[in-house]
Amino acid sequence: MRKTYIAVVLLAVIAIVGDHLTSPSSGRAVSPEDFAGACAPCGAPCPVKK
Amino acid sequence: MSTTTVSASVSTSPRIDTLFLGAAVLATAILVALVLLDGQTASAALVLGGFALGIAFLKAEFSYTASWRRFLNRGEAGGLIGGLIVIAICALAVVPVAALWPGFGGAIAPLGPSLLIGAFVFGIGMQLANGCGSGTLYTVGGGSGRMLVTLAFFIIGSVLGSLSLPSFLALGGINPVLASDYLGPWGGLVATLASIALAAVIMAAVAKKRGANFMPSRTYIIGGIVIGVLCIAVFFAGGHPWSVTFGYTVWGGKIFAALGFDFSQAEFWQWPGPKRALTGSVLSDTSSLTDFGMIFGAMAAAAATKRYAATAWPPLGSLLAAAIGGLLCGWGARIGFGCNIGAFIGGVASGSLHGWIWFLAALPGCMIGIRLRPLFGMSRD
Repeated sequence: MRKTYIAVVLLAVIAIVGDHLTSPSSGRAVSPEDFAGACAPCGAPCPVKK
Repeated sequence: MSTTTVSASVSTSPRIDTLFLGAAVLATAILVALVLLDGQTASAALVLGGFALGIAFLKAEFSYTASWRRFLNRGEAGGLIGGLIVIAICALAVVPVAALWPGFGGAIAPLGPSLLIGAFVFGIGMQLANGCGSGTLYTVGGGSGRMLVTLAFFIIGSVLGSLSLPSFLALGGINPVLASDYLGPWGGLVATLASIALAAVIMAAVAKKRGANFMPSRTYIIGGIVIGVLCIAVFFAGGHPWSVTFGYTVWGGKIFAALGFDFSQAEFWQWPGPKRALTGSVLSDTSSLTDFGMIFGAMAAAAATKRYAATAWPPLGSLLAAAIGGLLCGWGARIGFGCNIGAFIGGVASGSLHGWIWFLAALPGCMIGIRLRPLFGMSRD
């Protein structure tokens, strides 16, 4: 199991760093709730528009 | 098995697993450095807040899943009441600040079939997976191979849930109901704390009726206070209550997109928040930042005391339950607007009615999940 963990941790860190370096710079970290019209933590819209 | 053998094995077991302790600290340092290079101190705080949460959860063995199970099986309410301590502490900051301070918001969600179905399914999954959103993070970090399987399927289920959510929202519902909208920030806080106290009284009454203990253990009280304070810190750093499972959806979306899946026709991924999360850096998503921190915090805490991930893989039945449970948790969390953390703790601590509805809908799901556990060779307890 230790070998599995070593592989998973390595892959995860490489993937995170790779994704960060290849994605457009975005500034402040945000949650989907920060966007207009979001009505849930995942950014789903409200049933009735406010 | 002689005493000599035990002594020998104990003496040869390292007290500190330097490899994994070093890996956890180094990985965290890399993430913190990357966000600080972009000038994002709040992001660094979220990673470190997650790291501290990982340590706190692991050390207190704070398990919502086991608490639900003990309550439903034996009437023991101490674990759930310990969980309410977290919510009450968090609410002290979230309800007034979200109502009064621009730039901050509570965890809200629409009320409707989607919430009920999602929470119910999540309840089943949580008992099969043997962990909820936060539980999966800290047990994965703690070195449980079984929970690696849960996490993988949690992520897959979460992406499937993202594809189903618009259809479930179309079934109807009403806008979020927030106590502070009706009673003001301080009236909303009083109502929220009163609802938590009422829930604690009901849980204690049920425990008493069943002849079970309802007092949280000392570890749970201390753990609950520490976790509650950390929840407030995460709230101030991220602007919203702590959430876990949206991070899983983002990771899954990115993995599936890298494998060639096209989300351009998927409604969920066209909403502004998910769309930005899919295209932006994973380190610009608040829930991912605390999730990563939590895994590495639990890893550091586990590796600091014993040989890390030294247990054998569990039986196939248990792994199958981990996979099915993870899948149901992921799907249910997306349809039901979160897990114990994002929907229950975050929702109730925000004074949002959906938090309590989520709890009540997850309860029967848990009962079914507990009944299903023996089919996979797992104890009902």
